[in-house]
Amino acid sequence: MMDQRWRPTVNEREFIEQALQSDLRVDGRRPFDFRKLKIVFGREDGSAEVELGETRVMGYVTAQLVQPYKDRPSEGTLAIFTEFSPMADPAFEPGRPGEAAIELGRVIDRGLRESRAVDMESLCVVAGKHVWSLRVDLHILDNGGNLIDAANIAALAALSTFRRPECTVGGEDGQQVTVHDPEVRDPLPLTIHHLPIAVTFAYFGDGNIMVIDPTYKEEAVMGGRMTATINSNGDVCSIQKAGGEGVMSSVIMQCLRIASVKAADITSKIKSKVEDYTTTKALQKVKRTPALVPKKVHVPDVAMKESTGALENQASKTSNDVQQISKGDDDQQNMKRNLPLTGDRTVKHKQTSTCIGGPSNWDPYSKGVSLSSLRISQLPDPPATVKDNKQEDVELMLTESNPEVKSTSNSGAAGETDEAQESRTPKSLKDAVKPKHKRKKKQHGKS
Amino acid sequence: MESKKPPPSALVDNHVVPGDVILDLADMTNQTIKLGAGLRQDYDTIQATSAGRLRLSKPNKYWVESSQKRYIPSVEDTVLGIVVDTKPDNFLVDIKGPNFAFLPVLSFEGGTRRNIPKFEIGTLIYARVVKANSIMNPELSCMDASGKAAEFGQLKNGYMFDTSTGLSRMLLSSPTCPLLEALGKKLSFEIAVGLNGRVWVNAPSPSNVIVVSTAIIRSESYTQIQQKSMVENLLVKLS
Repeated sequence: MMDQRWRPTVNEREFIEQALQSDLRVDGRRPFDFRKLKIVFGREDGSAEVELGETRVMGYVTAQLVQPYKDRPSEGTLAIFTEFSPMADPAFEPGRPGEAAIELGRVIDRGLRESRAVDMESLCVVAGKHVWSLRVDLHILDNGGNLIDAANIAALAALSTFRRPECTVGGEDGQQVTVHDPEVRDPLPLTIHHLPIAVTFAYFGDGNIMVIDPTYKEEAVMGGRMTATINSNGDVCSIQKAGGEGVMSSVIMQCLRIASVKAADITSKIKSKVEDYTTTKALQKVKRTPALVPKKVHVPDVAMKESTGALENQASKTSNDVQQISKGDDDQQNMKRNLPLTGDRTVKHKQTSTCIGGPSNWDPYSKGVSLSSLRISQLPDPPATVKDNKQEDVELMLTESNPEVKSTSNSGAAGETDEAQESRTPKSLKDAVKPKHKRKKKQHGKS
Repeated sequence: MESKKPPPSALVDNHVVPGDVILDLADMTNQTIKLGAGLRQDYDTIQATSAGRLRLSKPNKYWVESSQKRYIPSVEDTVLGIVVDTKPDNFLVDIKGPNFAFLPVLSFEGGTRRNIPKFEIGTLIYARVVKANSIMNPELSCMDASGKAAEFGQLKNGYMFDTSTGLSRMLLSSPTCPLLEALGKKLSFEIAVGLNGRVWVNAPSPSNVIVVSTAIIRSESYTQIQQKSMVENLLVKLS
């Protein structure tokens, strides 16, 4: 039966070792450089695909409610499953995991479990009866060398973006658990205290030459390998050295020092990718909620305050009190607009972030109409001219904005002009307040 | 033979996929058209059976040039093989094909039973395919047709890497491809290209070997101009 495994030639073996004598690696890297790391998240929460050079690993996290172990009644469980697909390497056989697969699963499991990276007690729902059991599946898609590191990063990325359903305990005896649908209640992230990063070293030539992140060919000719799992705080979570060349303890200490530097670097990469992903997801959520979503609330605040303030100045009959009242009402009115949104946690987060979505649907001032253009129109002109200018600006706005938005901004614009008209001749506090309510009602009516 | 030459297929030098009709024979009479790899006659039409570029060699030879990672052995190809086993009569050599190839122990210049070369497992051999069909294991030889060594045999030192079959053909094209020319102007190295998608590079310093091999691997899908500029950038970066 043909053995399709790749075999190194004598030439490659000698050349790789010879090149390493002069600190050169075959792919042009320096001895302590990692390959390019790329993390891509799937559509569902808790799935990540990692590319480390040519090595590709996919991680997928799922959770299930189970009975806890008898000796740990208030802790959840975490299990790692690896699948070495034959498409990754002709040497992988389908079926039972081989030695390498089991070793990989064990190393990653030890790094996460022993260091208590994932908080297990927060996974407890009803002590002794129901806990969440996490299952991490790691699929090796392409073996380009250094599977342990890549698979570890995939597991961490998947765990960081995984969301478990929220569940409440109720019922007469306080034992009934209702698991909420993710559409009804937002699922919750896991509590991850730190990220243990695995860094693999390969030894060559009597154990005095070592490189980080070996490629497939380097792994075939190396003398031995060691994996150190370290987090960015410098805590050593696990070390694995299974057979191979013997190395001196000073070399091991040096490796650990190098590993902690690399771990900090990789941790920051993972964290930034995870953050990008969660903000994109939050953005998507925000877009889905109906039209009244302000994306940049603070800007319309200023625009409205100042523009209405400017308009107030224009009208000779206004007094300071009215101005302040209208400004105060602006605030109030914006607050009122915010009310339907406070229920949604993610939108609040959106408002504080610097992400800029499209122009808000309802605000006629969010696009096109700049303060300066309004101010120019505020030069000592009769109020009629002001109104005309404003209407022109607003009309400009209408043509610029999306067709779907036209109706709402139209109503908004109409409301504004009405309000401007009315605010110019305020008779009492009530009159000043009324137009805002009117406008709000108009908005609701149209949307 | 007609005085009018057959019109060449409109698809020459274009990409074709299996099933594309290259030529319609209905309107041609008394002409001989030679079909090479990847083409098949289907009643009145010539159809492509593999994906690649259609090539024409005047006046009437057509074939499809495709590039894969695997190699289908064909006679008179020069390939790079790796010895995987030694038998009394032949060496078993891996040439990236569906089967291992046999290299008879006597197929070397001046080879007799007394001076059989000793190749250990993992030796790199530059050889020529002598017999190849879909039924039997292919057979190699380390001699050319007249019995001389002609550079065949074991390759010592250096570094070997895999490429696609299309890239190896490009490296062997004449005139010399711009990639090798540009590299050769600045660096000194020697290179052996196997049509089975293997390339061996040797140079006095390891860094030269690494530069050449990285440049070749990267030029997988580059046009001629891109190759030249890529190599120039690479060399500028190093100096």
